[in-house]
Amino acid sequence: MIVVQLLLVSAFLGLFFLALRSRTAHGVSASKKLGFLLFMLVVVVAVLSPALVSAVANLVGVGRGTDLVLYLLAVVVCFYVVNDYLRAQDSRAQLHKLARRIAVLEALERYDIASAQDRDKDVTSNLPDPHESTDDA
Amino acid sequence: MKDVAFVVPVYNEAEVIRGVIDSLMAVTPHVVCVNDGSTDGSAAEILKAGAYLVDHPINMGQGAALQTGIEFARVLPGVQRFVTFDADGQHGVDDAVRLLTLLVAGDLDIVLGSRFLGASVGASRFRKALLKSAVRFSNMTSGIKLTDAHNGLRAFNRHVADTIEITAPDMTHASEIIELIARNGYRYREVPVTIHYTAYSLGKGQAGVNAVNIAIDTLLRKVGRS
Repeated sequence: MIVVQLLLVSAFLGLFFLALRSRTAHGVSASKKLGFLLFMLVVVVAVLSPALVSAVANLVGVGRGTDLVLYLLAVVVCFYVVNDYLRAQDSRAQLHKLARRIAVLEALERYDIASAQDRDKDVTSNLPDPHESTDDA
Repeated sequence: MKDVAFVVPVYNEAEVIRGVIDSLMAVTPHVVCVNDGSTDGSAAEILKAGAYLVDHPINMGQGAALQTGIEFARVLPGVQRFVTFDADGQHGVDDAVRLLTLLVAGDLDIVLGSRFLGASVGASRFRKALLKSAVRFSNMTSGIKLTDAHNGLRAFNRHVADTIEITAPDMTHASEIIELIARNGYRYREVPVTIHYTAYSLGKGQAGVNAVNIAIDTLLRKVGRS
């Protein structure tokens, strides 16, 4: 029993540090980090004290602590799958936008066509000439 | 017809694309082929035929290719009318020209080709039945009455080219275009066209089972917008 607890706790703690040490974690909001920390604490407590989990399970009308963990796990997995799917859709849409833009720009260049923007309002003519010196001295 | 641009999505059509481009170039010099990440020699064939090549760096689906092609075609000097045209030889150039004429004569925004007002050469009974039920489904979901929901032959004016925004990358774009017609209030009409089903084009076409996909995506779009 102690061995399995040791393994589980070190695995979750390892995961925790891995998640927070990664470079991408910088962009994650503080509230998410706090939520993750809380979740990890709950997990560690649950591993160390199965009796406590059972007590909580009885409180909400579930027979065994194991069952409660199973139900929660099912919810978490479903949530994760949906969330992941939606994020994948979003990033696919962004990728497509980018790739289509590249294709159009490349083609405009290949056939030496000014884009509509340049035609509508001659943007280039308003830019200062880079070879013109700006100081009067 | 120098004010016309053809928009042709191309995915692995190296065998036939040359002939299709040649027939279109007889109508207008503005033939825009969007090579949607083909893995065969399509891109080279397009260049050899002298059409505009717009090259998707990755395969994104026909809807994305159409939108890219329209965006490129609308900056071509002097282009006022647009036609979407399949690369597999199913569509007839004479049909396209008729659609263009009607677009102007009828003071319309968009003219859609229909297989069911016209003729399908070589389609199986199953395919016809499937397409018919696709139409019923489309009419129910889009609020527009059409006889053919998934025909790639369309002609439209600048107003449509400037305002249309196809976001469905894959084969559900046909349903999306119909929804856009309803939402943007384009003046539309259906015209009979002949689809030439050949062994080649049937082999390349969509499997019937894909209809399920399209239906689900269409319903999801409705849910997503509410």
